[in-house]
Amino acid sequence: MTPGQAATLGAVVDTIVPTDDHPSGTEAGVLDYLAGQFGRDLAGLRAFYEAGLDAVEAEARERHGTGFPELPPGRREELLRALEAGDTRVPWPFDAAAFVETVVGHVMEGFYGDPGNGGNRDAASWRMIGFEVRD
Amino acid sequence: MRVDAVVIGSGAGGGVAAAVLAEAGKRVLVLERGRDLTFAEIGRDHLRNHRLTRYPHRSGPDYEDGPRVAVDATGGEHLVRPHEPGFHGNATLVGGGTRLYGAQAWRFLPADFTMASTYGVPAGSSLADWPIGYDDLEPFYERAEWEIGVCGDHAAGSRHWRRAKPYPMSPLPEGLQAAALRRGATALGWDVLPVPLLINSVPYGGRAACTRCQHCVGFACPADAKNGSHNTVLSRALATGRARLLPEAVAERVECDPSGRVTGVRWVDRSGARHVVEAEVVICAAGAIETARLLQNSPTRREPHGLGNNHDQVGRHLQGHAYAWALGEMDEPVHDGLGPGVSLATLDFVHHNDGLVGGAMLADEFTVLPLAFWARNLPPDLPRWGARNKQYMRDNYRRVMRVGGPVQEIPDPEARTRPDPRVRDRWGIPVARLSGTTHPETLRTGDFIAERAREWLLASGARRAWAARAPLGLHAGQHQSGTCRMGDDERTSVVDRWGRVHGHDNLYVADASVHVTNGGVNPVLTIMALAFRTVERLCAEW
Repeated sequence: MTPGQAATLGAVVDTIVPTDDHPSGTEAGVLDYLAGQFGRDLAGLRAFYEAGLDAVEAEARERHGTGFPELPPGRREELLRALEAGDTRVPWPFDAAAFVETVVGHVMEGFYGDPGNGGNRDAASWRMIGFEVRD
Repeated sequence: MRVDAVVIGSGAGGGVAAAVLAEAGKRVLVLERGRDLTFAEIGRDHLRNHRLTRYPHRSGPDYEDGPRVAVDATGGEHLVRPHEPGFHGNATLVGGGTRLYGAQAWRFLPADFTMASTYGVPAGSSLADWPIGYDDLEPFYERAEWEIGVCGDHAAGSRHWRRAKPYPMSPLPEGLQAAALRRGATALGWDVLPVPLLINSVPYGGRAACTRCQHCVGFACPADAKNGSHNTVLSRALATGRARLLPEAVAERVECDPSGRVTGVRWVDRSGARHVVEAEVVICAAGAIETARLLQNSPTRREPHGLGNNHDQVGRHLQGHAYAWALGEMDEPVHDGLGPGVSLATLDFVHHNDGLVGGAMLADEFTVLPLAFWARNLPPDLPRWGARNKQYMRDNYRRVMRVGGPVQEIPDPEARTRPDPRVRDRWGIPVARLSGTTHPETLRTGDFIAERAREWLLASGARRAWAARAPLGLHAGQHQSGTCRMGDDERTSVVDRWGRVHGHDNLYVADASVHVTNGGVNPVLTIMALAFRTVERLCAEW
């Protein structure tokens, strides 16, 4: 993944799970989760991610004349919602909505899954929602 | 190698079979295709467990073992891996599903054995009565409750079943979900009872009581307080010194002599090497799909489509449960962090619902994993991501309650498993090819059940509630059953009322394959009770 793709990925993750008084997706380690999975279960999806992130970036430039990570949070959300609804302005190598849905699923795995999988740092999301763990 | 009996599968039926045989003095070999896994190996992985499976299983079936073929409504074929929807698998390890299950210990209701005569036979379905009734199984339900270990409320249960003896343990204490649901049931005038569980509410069988942890269904028990084959009947069998358990041993073919008498089992080890064990008796307890597959993959000159299959019955009537649910957003938090979670049920809608065939038990749900909550428990009008989604998770994880139940499926002869003509597993054995759906009549009942669940939630303090209806499809999975149905007529069944395959004196089935219908409750106690009955009789006549 190029530095540009990595920056777009981070911005996408934090659009899916934004910061508030609890950690955002990247603050809770979702990128660590994804990095681990790209070497494991999601190894076959690296090219899909890279192409999709390039397309998201191109959509931002086409619509707003700036990169996706530079957009204010409201515009980023608006853009992903448009893609989710099938509203694209640049050519996509695959269904844009399917890309968003796939990434959302993986981000939630990293955010709400067990810390043993590399995300959900310090069980931040579990503490946020009140899921307790005992032996 | 030569033994008295080979048992194929170490789950709910196979464990009981092994114990009864070994304690009757027989030398037993248990072949288990799965691995013998520790608690740590099974883990508490929220992405790879038998409750929520996003990636290949840690507790079997292994990804590499082989796919199944799913045939859709238009005839399209799909290769399905073990962790993918459409595989219809069950945990594959020593103890089978009982190692990880939620352990609901329901007896079938008397009317569950007489579905056809109670309701008539819907067009196109193969709904039928069992050749035996509740009273035939009652003593064996009792054995299962005592010898494997069930906690429950005898007085409340006696309102629904003739019960000769109390449960060995009283129910687990009720939590916030049950308190809310009791209020709702009172307002509606519904009868409720604590969910009986194969879980130690107090120390029992030499093992500890449940610690009320949050990782119950889909996971192994950290306190060894969940009672399954692996820590009860299988241990008893091994303690006799007459039983041997072989994990990672895949039964490939049941061997017969020219007269049709079963002579043993050919099996494959991890390396792919073939072995034959000779036996006086063979008992199949591999689950409804794998037991049918084994019989089908054992053709002879007399039975070219597999053992017991000259009337094309093996593998048909495949069923499980079509779950119907509702979710309610409660005024007050109902998540108290105390597992297992499932606690209170009503049996008011299992039978005799106006204009419908069968019904379902309704109960609350196990403690839900956060990711599963996100995937399945959110209101349909909520965005799937973004600030509002995060806020809803935070505000309502402890408020949203799920109520639902296993809708009794109306069997369909076209819902079936067959050996695929092309696809083979890692050992070269034809894989299961699954096709058909539950009978559409099931969905009418399911919609009614989902609506009762919604009604219960609203009466229990939900400020809003929404239904999650059962879709038309195959619903085999963990409750898979029906593929070697029991009956007196060999043209319409595979085993007789004693679990013996028609036409074979020494071949038995001791799993849910023999269920003619699968009840409106969880089936595992019935599998255990039937295995006790089948194998006790087999030993008595030996």
